Amino acid sequence: MLEIKNLDVSVEDKQIIKNLNLKIGPGEVHAIMGPNGSGKSTIAHTLAGKPNYLVEAGNVDFKNEDLIAKDPYERSLLGLFLAFQYPIELPGVTNASYLKQILNAHRKSRGENPIDAGEFLKILKEKSRNLNIPMEMHSRFVNAGFSGGEKKKNEVLQMDLLNPSLIIMDETDSGLDVDALKSTSEAVNKLRDGKRSFLIITHYLRLLEYIEPDHVHVFGDGSIIESGDKSLASRIDNEGYEVK
Amino acid sequence: MKSVSSLDCVIEISEKINIQNSSDEIKINCSNSESSPTIDIEIKKSKINNRIHLTCNEKQDIKAAINLQIHNNATLEFIDEANYEGATDIKMNTIMRPNAVFELYRFNKFNVSTKNSFVHNCDLQSNCIFRDFNFSNGSKEMSNITKISLNEKNSKYIGSGVVIADSTNCKNQLDISHMSQSAISDCSFKTVSRGKSNVTFKGKVFVDDDCSDTVSSQISKGLVMSDESKINLTPILEINNDDVVCSHGAASGKPDDSVLFYLASRGIEKSDAEKLYMQGFLSEFLNKIENVQMQSKARDYINQNC
Repeated sequence: MLEIKNLDVSVEDKQIIKNLNLKIGPGEVHAIMGPNGSGKSTIAHTLAGKPNYLVEAGNVDFKNEDLIAKDPYERSLLGLFLAFQYPIELPGVTNASYLKQILNAHRKSRGENPIDAGEFLKILKEKSRNLNIPMEMHSRFVNAGFSGGEKKKNEVLQMDLLNPSLIIMDETDSGLDVDALKSTSEAVNKLRDGKRSFLIITHYLRLLEYIEPDHVHVFGDGSIIESGDKSLASRIDNEGYEVK
Repeated sequence: MKSVSSLDCVIEISEKINIQNSSDEIKINCSNSESSPTIDIEIKKSKINNRIHLTCNEKQDIKAAINLQIHNNATLEFIDEANYEGATDIKMNTIMRPNAVFELYRFNKFNVSTKNSFVHNCDLQSNCIFRDFNFSNGSKEMSNITKISLNEKNSKYIGSGVVIADSTNCKNQLDISHMSQSAISDCSFKTVSRGKSNVTFKGKVFVDDDCSDTVSSQISKGLVMSDESKINLTPILEINNDDVVCSHGAASGKPDDSVLFYLASRGIEKSDAEKLYMQGFLSEFLNKIENVQMQSKARDYINQNC
């Protein structure tokens, strides 16, 4: 699914990612944990193609294609989804209109016609119900005035709508209360189908108690310094990042 | 021609002025000279909204004066949906008698190589409401001047201007004079500037010294979509009374890269992401248009021209 080889990434002339290697197979759930400033989010944004994140060396193979050579929108159309830690607000555009537009962008890339308004409404109602999202939320502007929980649910709704192959979750647990974390995690777990892969970036064990990872990697100084199974996350939670 | 209701009055400005379906409540006198027709319109009291549709199907240059008088308690919707192919020079003078309500909607497209001018002077008497919404794409040389005089108490002006410029120019001026107490003005201006466009907005709010209990708000925002386009927003406030609530704000800049990246990360390519961004930016104030039909026209205008 995804293979990162010897990746170096700089942001504003400062090297953040140093010789990163990571392989994620189909259906696997990988978690990256690490202290603040270790470069976790940089991986997420680099994979999604954020401008100014300069790949200095190495390569990334995603579904047998050179991911780095592609524009950000092409990466999405190829099946990569980044759930943002801080979802962006888009005033003036209703959530329903936005969701329809992103769905149609993916349909267009598959050679399909734009979705019929009635069919879209049916899908939106069904997926919103599964996430306990009130339909009223879709008549509001994208993420504008949304609570932290609503924003994260909206991210999960988008990943459900776009049906990606690889989902990168960048600190999805931040800003969520216990109930919102649980319901968001349950929604994500429903998307685990044995084929779709996940890369979960988090500080804490609590998200991984709901979304159980196959592999846990500890990040430090721009690279993976230790890998293991879920028990590694428990150990980090008990001992912190300072003691390895 | 758009379909219109039985109370609609349709005016076509061309070499010969045509008036169709004039309702009993709308009295119109035209003195037509080939170079400069003058249209005098008088709106009498009516329980139902009167509506005037101004259309223009000719490619010729237009020079016209419209004198509009809206009597006590009368209401008027004036909708200008003309596509002006030639040069224009239109002057509008409006007098609103007590309790009159005037809604002016202009959804215009101009030829990018012409010179166009619109000047509107509007005097409001007590308890009048003037809702003024203008949507334009600019032209080679466009001047859009509106002067509002809130002459008597409890008069109210609500205005929004949207300019979607693409290698066009548009000079906008809005002068609001609070000449009586307890008057309200609420103005917003938004523009998107693409290609080699140059858009200016000068918004002046004047509050006279005996105008206590004045409420005034003015906001102008611009989105610069290219390195060669320019936006200049100038708010001017002259307040001569302490018992007022006046606010103003002006901001212009390029699109937020983080928003464009967010949209790209959802599969929307750059040109479509910029279009969506512009549509959202310009649509932010559309809820100020209470008339649902006109709000829909405004949204269509923005979506079609971004």
